[in-house]
Amino acid sequence: MSSEFVAGVIAGGGLGWLFDRLLGTSPGGLIVFLLLGFAAGTFNVVRAAGATGKTGSKPYRS
Amino acid sequence: MASPIDPIHQFELKNLFSFGRIGNSEIAFTNASLFMFSAVGIIALLTLLATRDRAVVPGRMQSLVEMSYEFVASTVRGSAGQEGMRFFPFVFSLFMFILVLNLFGMIPGAFTVTSHIIVTFALAALVILTVLIYGFWKHGLHFLKLFVPSGVPIYILPLVTMIEVISFISRPISLSVRLFANMLAGHITLKVFAGFIGMLATGLGAFGWIVGILPLGMTVALTALELLVAVLQAYVFTILTCIYLNDALHPGH
Repeated sequence: MSSEFVAGVIAGGGLGWLFDRLLGTSPGGLIVFLLLGFAAGTFNVVRAAGATGKTGSKPYRS
Repeated sequence: MASPIDPIHQFELKNLFSFGRIGNSEIAFTNASLFMFSAVGIIALLTLLATRDRAVVPGRMQSLVEMSYEFVASTVRGSAGQEGMRFFPFVFSLFMFILVLNLFGMIPGAFTVTSHIIVTFALAALVILTVLIYGFWKHGLHFLKLFVPSGVPIYILPLVTMIEVISFISRPISLSVRLFANMLAGHITLKVFAGFIGMLATGLGAFGWIVGILPLGMTVALTALELLVAVLQAYVFTILTCIYLNDALHPGH
């Protein structure tokens, strides 16, 4: 569960860092993508929590 | 440094023999390679030898193999549908490989390959690359519909799509970190509690021997818990693989 959240933040941060590196927009990209990663991590956690109660063909979609 | 109660010492890679160098990195046969090869060997031997008789009423070993087959098959059918069964060989190999490696780690003194993030990340990357390649091959650009949820108002659609893309990128990370972190943390905890017994016995004498019963009981209980975690994490990895493969089979939702 916690790894879902951490993975979202890491993915967002990594994407932002790459974005900055390629386009030279430091630190704008890192800030924006870290926030998006935070949102994605929260989204992951909510989805994982919703998946625990159901056993359907698509448990990850709420 | 390498004291016997150092809890990190058990994860050290040792070169058994070297094949030479490519560039600056040494290509060596390590203890991790040894355990991975023996896991593959044991799975192959078990499945081949146990099913050799093809008895109608299965023996002990044959029913073990048949049960693991049925278990993985029902997991794949449950999460990815009947179409998902084309990935059954892949999912079954993943499950057996991770399960046997996790259980190898429970043997005292053995090396736990799945406590190295590079191994678990390689497995997770394999899963995600399968999803991506199969998804684009089967559906073409329609696969990108995976990132665009239906029924979202147009003015927040770009934001939701960005979050979905980042959420997809985070999948291999969370898949690998979950398995790695569970195995690493469990083995460190076991080693720390087991180390308390030795420290108490050598440090406090007769009194230490009596108090040492407490961490000993804890170690026994943790061993049982770790056995559960070893099987459970192999199952979690498998079912998440099936869910991701389901996305590759049916990207629209």
